[in-house]
Amino acid sequence: MKVRVDPERCQGHTLCWMTAPKAFQLDDIDGHSSAVSEDVPADQEEDVREAAHSCPERAIEIF
Amino acid sequence: MSEAASEDDRKKNRVHFDRHTPEYRHQFEEITHELHAKCPIAWTDTYDGHWVASGNREVFELARSAEFLSNDHDVNGERRGYKGITIPSPPRAAEVQGGFLEMDPPEQRHYRQTLNPYLSPAAVSRWIPLVDEVVRACLDEKIEEGRIDFVDDLANIVPAVLTLAMMGIPLKDWTVYNEPAHASVYTPPNSPDMARVTELGRNMGLALYTAVQEIREKPRPGLIDALVNAEINGKTPPDLELLGVLALLIGGGFDTTTALTAHALEWLGQNPGERDRLSSERESLLDSATEEFLRFFAPAPGDGRTISADCEIAGQRFEEGERLWLSWAMANRDPSVFAEPDRVDLERRGNRHSSFGLGIHRCIGSNVARTVFKRMVTAVLDRMPDYRCDPDGTVHYETIGVIQGMRHLPATFTPGKRLGPSLDETLEILQKACDEQRLAEPVTVRTARAQIAR
Repeated sequence: MKVRVDPERCQGHTLCWMTAPKAFQLDDIDGHSSAVSEDVPADQEEDVREAAHSCPERAIEIF
Repeated sequence: MSEAASEDDRKKNRVHFDRHTPEYRHQFEEITHELHAKCPIAWTDTYDGHWVASGNREVFELARSAEFLSNDHDVNGERRGYKGITIPSPPRAAEVQGGFLEMDPPEQRHYRQTLNPYLSPAAVSRWIPLVDEVVRACLDEKIEEGRIDFVDDLANIVPAVLTLAMMGIPLKDWTVYNEPAHASVYTPPNSPDMARVTELGRNMGLALYTAVQEIREKPRPGLIDALVNAEINGKTPPDLELLGVLALLIGGGFDTTTALTAHALEWLGQNPGERDRLSSERESLLDSATEEFLRFFAPAPGDGRTISADCEIAGQRFEEGERLWLSWAMANRDPSVFAEPDRVDLERRGNRHSSFGLGIHRCIGSNVARTVFKRMVTAVLDRMPDYRCDPDGTVHYETIGVIQGMRHLPATFTPGKRLGPSLDETLEILQKACDEQRLAEPVTVRTARAQIAR
């Protein structure tokens, strides 16, 4: 499973990071999110799916 | 089709919608269900006519269509005369631009870029030791008495003190800003108290203006310093525009977090089993519970917009110049996204609520709000775990057209012991920490957490 945060869509709501803190990181300056790694470790898949589902801007793409 | 017939067709979903009436507050769920079922985008004739979007998908698509929607409040009639985010618009004499929430890009983006390094999660977490001390002192003031008003004695004070600290305004001045920040929201325009509230607002504006001048002459770190030095679209913003921005930060920082905290504490008081569970399982529950309180109580229930070009969004045709109300609160109750939307579920998953707005205008203080809320609520759970709210003394805002707030939430609890100095003394200690450690610097300058010695 791979994950990507669309930087054009992300507005820094931070829900993904609250849901899957190992899989997402927030920029110190504007709080916008990015994936720690495009490849999602097997033990984080469920949290990442939940994070994608929680994103108010639907900025998280799983592929 | 004739023009009139086409107009009728475009506006065929008509409702009478007036969110400024007490009925809207009392019948919020029924009205929301009806709009979702019949017309998730509807036309209403109230307030010179405007669209109302209540469906989750509709609100989502509209809020993110920045190319067709404008937040602009053209107070001086220099652009297209748009009226900003308030429906109805304030009387002409009282019109001031509501900071960057009533601007479009690029100016709006420049302001946010200026302020983000003070308000990001990394920036806000540095303040937690200070927040905890203010919370501690507020609870200490009432802990021996066994009686507290969660609004007056806690939820009004902590967000106010932190907001001022971040701005670079003396903490003890929170009383100058506190009453006007709340009263200007809950006082109806026809109230006999309105003259006094207007006067308080004027004093607050004057205090803000004085702070701006002081910081220009003798810089000290904080949001005001960032703003007076900001270059917005290549220009130094005029004072009146800056005052609008500062008033937005005060308005956004004070009343909304108060509203969220009061509603959550009231609900937890009514559901003591859930309160105990939240307290004992906070590690896993606090985040999801916070998002659920945000979804359910939506302190800022919506925003107005102006359609800036003819367009079709979410299956509805709009014309340039038309006004639109985006209801975050109603979008949060859409059963197509939220199972059992009218129930509070502290463990709710996939809670993509819109209580901080959606799109480019996402509440810039969202990280502050969450942090302050969590620190206040967990401290109450620790120190007043058996509190009982007094329904007879509880006062909700009469209407929820602007903010879904509360004026009073008295409660009783088993008394406990003080843990530290009084609120006034605490604010003096914290002021020293702000000054000496330059706590209000942006995260680009200072990354360390506040050190609070007691």
